[in-house]
Amino acid sequence: MKEYTKELNITVKVNGREYHESVPANMTLLQFLRNKLLLTGTKEGCGIGECGACTVVMNGKTVTSCLVLAAEADGAEIRTIEGEAKGEKLTALQESFIKYHGEQCGFCTPGMIMSAQNLLDRNPKPTREEIVEAISGNLCRCTGYEPIIKAIEAVAEKGNR
Amino acid sequence: MIKPVAYFKPGSLKEAVEALQTENAWPLAGGTDLLVNMRNGVEHPDLLVDIKGLEELNVFEVDGKIIIGGNINLNFIIDDARLRKVCPVLGQSALTVATYQLRNRATLVGNICNASPAADMAPALYVMEAEVVVSGPQGERHVPINEFITGVKKTSLKKGEVVLRVEIPNPKVGKTAFLKKQRYRGHDLATVNVAGIANPDTGTLRVCIGACAVTPVLLKGTDELYKSIKDVDELADKVSELALQSISPIDDVRSSAEYRRDMTAVYVKRLVRTICS
Repeated sequence: MKEYTKELNITVKVNGREYHESVPANMTLLQFLRNKLLLTGTKEGCGIGECGACTVVMNGKTVTSCLVLAAEADGAEIRTIEGEAKGEKLTALQESFIKYHGEQCGFCTPGMIMSAQNLLDRNPKPTREEIVEAISGNLCRCTGYEPIIKAIEAVAEKGNR
Repeated sequence: MIKPVAYFKPGSLKEAVEALQTENAWPLAGGTDLLVNMRNGVEHPDLLVDIKGLEELNVFEVDGKIIIGGNINLNFIIDDARLRKVCPVLGQSALTVATYQLRNRATLVGNICNASPAADMAPALYVMEAEVVVSGPQGERHVPINEFITGVKKTSLKKGEVVLRVEIPNPKVGKTAFLKKQRYRGHDLATVNVAGIANPDTGTLRVCIGACAVTPVLLKGTDELYKSIKDVDELADKVSELALQSISPIDDVRSSAEYRRDMTAVYVKRLVRTICS
């Protein structure tokens, strides 16, 4: 009988940099990013895919990284909040979040930015309805969403990035 | 935390079926139900067999019959323009499942394998007379969707078997709709969900109700009502009466049984009016 392993070697590209790591099979992508790579910008909220705080972009698609195993990310390209700003230079969307007060406590913000940026990347001129649907998997308990929607709308009007 | 578990990503179906025959092995596709259940201590697999590398599960065809492989996620179903034209009810149903990020992972096949009575993809598949194609140690078999889902979180899948795809042999069959009652606007599981199809040329009316019994309930005797009653409001009333005789809802966290009965009547009538006029 074949032996199946609980520890795996994976290769993952995160924000353009390649990592080769050994991970336990029960480690989530979120734990991998935060605990192995020390990229703690991505947050854990609910841990069961309902709040969207852990949203990252995997191979061009947003996913809740708490419901992806690190093992499943072998060979994947991941984008996290750490890859958005270039040094001190924020993206247009990040600037817009500041201008419109799109964050208060800030806990949902990394996931919110990843969902919103992913929307703008696939649809540079989204309607309000499309914005609401795109961030519907990202819960925010502070803002009431209006400032966030306004921040995304402002970028959509002016052009992305 | 997810408990220690082994992980294997087979490159061939043969390897997958072999791995799935080991003690307490589970197939892993989108993982949006399984990983939540593992984290919550509801399921304790010893081996996860990641089936996302299997070519056989990546199939997607719309010409002639519809074929949806086990790895096809719900956003793909929503976004595909050809499918939206040929069988809009699948995309309509998919759009009500969870959130955008989860739908990038969650698969149609996973939704029916999870076999929740409230599964939002199930009613549409019942009225479209879908077949589930299963592969296992004894080879391949086709199972009608209403025989595939056998109870709450129960399917007719046997040890070592994996679902390859869902097929809809005859998709061009009439006007369809999917309606869902949930507690609030936004993303929620169904209190009641209904799907239907009506074809005046063949005299076919099929209506399926979810979240109101241990499995989705496909109504029997709707064709006769459809052929004999011409007034759509009267037809809606009669189908709704039939629905109330056929379901057996329970009280749970989302709704009382009484409210489910009331909403079933409302939603079935609304559905019949939508697809029959």
